[in-house]
Amino acid sequence: MHGIKRQQYSREILKQKRIQDQQKIKTYKDLTHSALDTRDKGIFTTDALQLTSKILELNPEFNTIWNYRRDIILTVTNDVKPDFWENELQFTMEKLKRFPKVYWIWNHRIWVLDNYPNATDKIWLRELFVVDKLLSMDARNYHGWHYRRLIVKKLESINGKLMDKEELKYVTTIINKNISNYSAWHQRVQLITNIFNKHELNKKEMKDMVLSEISYITNAIYTDADDQSVWFYTNWFIANDIVRLVLTNDEYIKMLKDIKDNVILINNDDVEFSGKENNWCLKILIVIEKTLKEAGYELDKDEHTEEYLKKLIDNDPQRRNRYIYLSTKQ
Amino acid sequence: MLSPERRTSMAERRPSFANFSGNSNHIDTLMVPHLAGIEDPLPETTPEKVDVLIAGTGLVESVLAAALAWQGSNVLHVDSNDYYGDSAATLTVDQIKNWVNRIHNSKNESEPYKNAKLYISSSNIGPDCKYASRDFGIDLSPKILFAKSDLLSILVKSRVHQYLEFQSLSTFHTYENDSFEKLTNTKQDIFTDQNLTLMTKRNLMKFLKFVLNWEKMPEIWQPYADKSITDFLFNKFKLEKPQVFELVFSIGLCSNMDTKVPLALNRIRRYLVSYDVYGPFPVLYSKYGGAGEVSQGFCRSAAVAGATYKLNEKLYSYNPTTQVATFTDGSKVTVTEKIIMSPTQAPEGNKHVPEQKYEVNRMVCLVEKDCKEWFSEDESAAVVVFPPGSLKSGNKHVVQTLIMGSGSECCPQGTSIWYLSTTESGVRAEMDLDAALEALEISIIRESSEEITNDNDIVQISDDGRPIINSVRLGQSFKEYVPRESVQHLMKLSYTQLTSTPPFDVVNPALFDNDELNNRANSVNKFIPNASDNGIIYTAMPSSEISYDEVVTAAKVLYEKIVGSDDDFFDVDFEDDDNDAMPTGASVNGVINYENAIEDDEEDIQMGEDDSNEFVGEMEI
Repeated sequence: MHGIKRQQYSREILKQKRIQDQQKIKTYKDLTHSALDTRDKGIFTTDALQLTSKILELNPEFNTIWNYRRDIILTVTNDVKPDFWENELQFTMEKLKRFPKVYWIWNHRIWVLDNYPNATDKIWLRELFVVDKLLSMDARNYHGWHYRRLIVKKLESINGKLMDKEELKYVTTIINKNISNYSAWHQRVQLITNIFNKHELNKKEMKDMVLSEISYITNAIYTDADDQSVWFYTNWFIANDIVRLVLTNDEYIKMLKDIKDNVILINNDDVEFSGKENNWCLKILIVIEKTLKEAGYELDKDEHTEEYLKKLIDNDPQRRNRYIYLSTKQ
Repeated sequence: MLSPERRTSMAERRPSFANFSGNSNHIDTLMVPHLAGIEDPLPETTPEKVDVLIAGTGLVESVLAAALAWQGSNVLHVDSNDYYGDSAATLTVDQIKNWVNRIHNSKNESEPYKNAKLYISSSNIGPDCKYASRDFGIDLSPKILFAKSDLLSILVKSRVHQYLEFQSLSTFHTYENDSFEKLTNTKQDIFTDQNLTLMTKRNLMKFLKFVLNWEKMPEIWQPYADKSITDFLFNKFKLEKPQVFELVFSIGLCSNMDTKVPLALNRIRRYLVSYDVYGPFPVLYSKYGGAGEVSQGFCRSAAVAGATYKLNEKLYSYNPTTQVATFTDGSKVTVTEKIIMSPTQAPEGNKHVPEQKYEVNRMVCLVEKDCKEWFSEDESAAVVVFPPGSLKSGNKHVVQTLIMGSGSECCPQGTSIWYLSTTESGVRAEMDLDAALEALEISIIRESSEEITNDNDIVQISDDGRPIINSVRLGQSFKEYVPRESVQHLMKLSYTQLTSTPPFDVVNPALFDNDELNNRANSVNKFIPNASDNGIIYTAMPSSEISYDEVVTAAKVLYEKIVGSDDDFFDVDFEDDDNDAMPTGASVNGVINYENAIEDDEEDIQMGEDDSNEFVGEMEI
């Protein structure tokens, strides 16, 4: 979760905590010993299942135990109660609420859905709703977005209908809520790539999409020129094959020059306001100049990469050597 | 003598309170103590000797009483009225009638209220009418509570919040070009607003980021330190009039164009840092009545800590030599420490009430309209601000309006209460308030009418395909709109309240220097022969401030005068410490973890190489 302060423990508190934790540690060790023991003996019973539940309750990071659990479930699957699978989903949900960033829990949940007996698309639709909920609680959980893609893929293959366009609408509403959501911008890259690679649009629609994307980016860099998510996305977008193919070379060069003008305007405005250049602007300007040259546009006197790098060496000492290295390559 | 006609008190509403807390284990700790004169009979006698006598149960006095009582002082807290709240009271229509009569008949030369005018629609309110007098709870000092403020901390610390129910208020309208504009104050609003130019978006965001940490950037504001905030926003941030007015008057709630930069920046930040503390709204208000409920809550807390309460008790005189205070009913009490008194409670023959040279002009209308059009979904209140020059009276000062709907439980279904106020004085104030009232009326009739001008006329499509609101057209249609109905006024009250606190300033501690210690040092405050109030410290009347922000400051200054330091101000250690969370009312419950929409999260992604290669890698330059 974002925006939550990490708790700092003093040495004294840590010492007390350790004493308090000793009983817990012992319980945990005993449980894992007996679970690994039963596993090695090849015991796959509902009792052993209970044992894994207890351990995962304490430590959901223990993937060996999740594996063992799945082996047990597959063995006892005919003996379990009808509501077993529903409870298993509930089990993972409880864990996810406490540990939203543990891979194995997400992994197990997908496995449960995949193995759910007599499942229809309804169960996956319900899961999409669950992901909506989870993302509304923490829209910047990368796991949540990854999981969402898995669910959507499943629904697409069941229904034989692509969902990228609806998903793009969804991700746009999330980015609108907070343009600093890096995971959501990443999802946007995935979706736009899909839409073009799977030929979901006709020629005019493709062009419209690229144009509206340009104005979306422009809107974002004006709204917050200090936000790296937006710059990363811009960086991906301008040098992308999709854009190159959809636009004619002249249109492509015009787009780059337009963005360049806007970035220069923003940077100059920053200088006027605070006396400082905007490093993000300088970096993207270098990318734009490089891309322009690759597109066959002669910058000649308008080329300022060397100058931008010099400024960056001064303004961004942490990456100084990288800029020096880059300027030697010029 | 009990108040003959009043609204149900906190304790009497307790069942609903237990319900909303939703946790039967805590009912004991949520017990609302009874208050003498409301649920408990008034004590027949007063104590013989107390440490502190406080007269007036307004906000500052009540917070002070509770702080002193919990600190261990022996407090006698009286009020000459037959209800709690004094200058902060929440009154029924009949009580308002008596209040207006009292002001007209007041013989107090330093009476802080004047020019009270009252109209009541007797065919609508009264016995056998559609509405009863006690259906309404009218605040003499309507207030809103910022989610991040000193009073809210004190409410939580003192646990007084447990007696109260809070509701959220997120709608702040700025009246401009004859229409109500909703605020654009979050990053999301700015990013998605299609009417703002790109440069305006940038400038607005730049300002919002700056204002959160403005003290740390003196190079930006110092050159403007003596200038007005409007000058600063126009010239340094290149913002345009609608945004400047929004920031200064709706978000900052400043009174006029000339508010100085540092003061205004603090006021603007107050709003922004309060946003998203408990949810997507900056302020709260207490249900069943604003300041009246809050002050009553503190009185109950003081009573729990041992303070004695008495209503209908008016001071006749105080003798600082013998330390004996005499009341008009003949009873006497020895006060070993201090007497603190609201100017409203000053005894006849007083000579020490501080000069009340500032006017707050107020108007209250009970209106037969629910005004839902002005509220956000699930909310029942809104703030409407009329910036300078926006009214046809050519107002130089802001008119601030607080609208309360029936969901606040201050008025019945289908009605609402409009509180208007201005720091303008005299006839001009009357003209401004009338103009604002008219603008509100026209607006609500138009917005609640079904024959609204066709939206297509108002929204136009620009060359690049974006919809643009045609404000000229909107203004025109507004001006040309002839209302077919009129707003039914159930009650209309206007009055001037005097205060010693300048508009939008904090209480000046020097006001409270009318005690012996300072009399020796300061010849100005010498005891006056035959004055009935020698040695009495007067509190300040509520200022024009619409928030509660001055209250704790004033109470602390007084507390320090009495105790010597404010270190242990509400330093209360409750035994049952398991209930520290802030269970704000139903509408706030369950709202957690809102990220501040403006502040950047530095931790989001590092520019580091290992972390950033999800789709772009190290930016390839």
